[in-house]
Amino acid sequence: MSTTPNRVALSAHALLCRRGHGADRFELRVDRLDLHAGEVLVILGPNGAGKSTLLRALAGLDRSVDPRAIRGPQGPTTLVFQRPTALSGSVEGNVRAALLGKGVPEAERRDRVHRALDRFDILPLARHDARTLSGGELRRLALARAFVLEPEVLLLDEPFDDLDAAGQRHLSLDLQEAIRETGVAVAMVTHDLRRALLLADRIAVLSHGELAQHGPRDEVLSHPDTPEIAHTVGMTNVSPGRVVRREEDLSWIEIEAGFEVPTTATLDVGVDAWIGIRPEHLKLDVGRGDGRPIGKAVVESLVSDGLASVVTLRVHDRRFTTHLLSGRGLARRLRPGDPVSLAVQPDQVHARLS
Amino acid sequence: MPSMDDTMLSPLLTITLRTLWICGSALILALLVGVPIGIALGSRQFVSRGLLVSSVNAGMGAPPVVVGLIGSILLARSGPLGELELIYTPYAMILTSTAIALPLVIGLTLAAVGSLDAEWDLQVRTLGIGRRWRIWLLVREIRMGLLAAIIAAMGGILSEVGAVRMVGGNIEGETRVLTTAIMMHTSMGEYEEALGQAAVLVGNMLVLAGLLTWIQQSGRSRG
Repeated sequence: MSTTPNRVALSAHALLCRRGHGADRFELRVDRLDLHAGEVLVILGPNGAGKSTLLRALAGLDRSVDPRAIRGPQGPTTLVFQRPTALSGSVEGNVRAALLGKGVPEAERRDRVHRALDRFDILPLARHDARTLSGGELRRLALARAFVLEPEVLLLDEPFDDLDAAGQRHLSLDLQEAIRETGVAVAMVTHDLRRALLLADRIAVLSHGELAQHGPRDEVLSHPDTPEIAHTVGMTNVSPGRVVRREEDLSWIEIEAGFEVPTTATLDVGVDAWIGIRPEHLKLDVGRGDGRPIGKAVVESLVSDGLASVVTLRVHDRRFTTHLLSGRGLARRLRPGDPVSLAVQPDQVHARLS
Repeated sequence: MPSMDDTMLSPLLTITLRTLWICGSALILALLVGVPIGIALGSRQFVSRGLLVSSVNAGMGAPPVVVGLIGSILLARSGPLGELELIYTPYAMILTSTAIALPLVIGLTLAAVGSLDAEWDLQVRTLGIGRRWRIWLLVREIRMGLLAAIIAAMGGILSEVGAVRMVGGNIEGETRVLTTAIMMHTSMGEYEEALGQAAVLVGNMLVLAGLLTWIQQSGRSRG
């Protein structure tokens, strides 16, 4: 969130998790990963990259991990699972159970349980049987059960999974507020990039059981180290190419015959490189001087979720995507088959040597 | 065994109380030993777990008469445990009944733990709940399964006759219980006595099973 990351709340050092045998064998290695007090770290990666494994290791639940590899906070660390389990009994009883044996005086316990239920809008369900809750309510219960512990570190595994759009929006706002008010350090695994970006201060990308990249949110979003990471962080326009010329401070990379893209990255002429452009940075040139024109494309499809339209464009054999606001301007006028001109800001074109 | 003055109590009441005392002791012993074993087998992974679970499953179907035979051999005066002088005492009957009920208790506890969410233990552990409280929560969570285990074990113990006859000997005033008495009267053609004792035995079972079922059902409706 907006607080400046400072003290390290949880850190992993030379972390190694092992699972399974033979063909099912999986290893996760993380040389170093720090979670600072008050920050939200979002862990991204394709399926099977080891995201949930990492979260469980950080929670101290993985027996294959050397306990010395994890340095936790003084206060509690807790993990909210992707599929939370309700204990039998009432919703309130479930939240109270988290304080069992912790020596919390009854008056304080009542107060904390009440606040936790209220924080996630399930106070009206306090007396309900926890086993009759819907998926969204159960997730709120699990979060209330975690927050009643007043944790210093909170680990969340796919907190928005299985929720409808309204439920996701509602929960992410409540969660955002809870994180801001308590100052808890959060590490979150999710495949929902949009929700993740609302909350993230830092991003860690896992790939094939290794920490592929880790850094401040915007740094990782705009400067992924590999095409695979680019794909994971939603940089949809990735293409290999070759540096064909340098002019002033720009390197021009040819990705198709006659289709050249300028970048502020300093690259030598003749080298192979790949470029990445976030969809929101690829402009449809409507003569407003919005960036540098880079060539023509043909609209292949437009898909709208009511809020944004995803426009798929074709340049020879390559596909690019850009986003438009639904229901207005170009998003209303464009039809598949229409020719368009593309433009970019050179400093928004990410380029790396292949 | 508490000394019961046969002159003050009718023989039927005496053997009924003895039956309940022996069966109750065996049930408690089987629960005290079986539930922790069932929980451990159900919630932990270790190398010989598969072998132990198969043994429990085999034990659930073991013929009680074989248990009685093994008990007799072990407890006989010349047997390895002969020095304990337990053969033909109520204690031998308790031990044998416990042995019959134990696999049922372990097996049904194991099944109850197995029916929980696979991540149940991890989810409770991540709340920082200590071991003792985790066990308390687990027992509370599987209480319906435990009641089923109690009902099955009680039925197994109360209806068993062959094994307890073998190690107890049906000695009047000492080890005669309802089942062994029914068998004896039947073999002697004294059907009236046998029927009376059978009615008491069935009545006891009905009351106990009814009570446990009531607890189970009211627990279920509460969730």
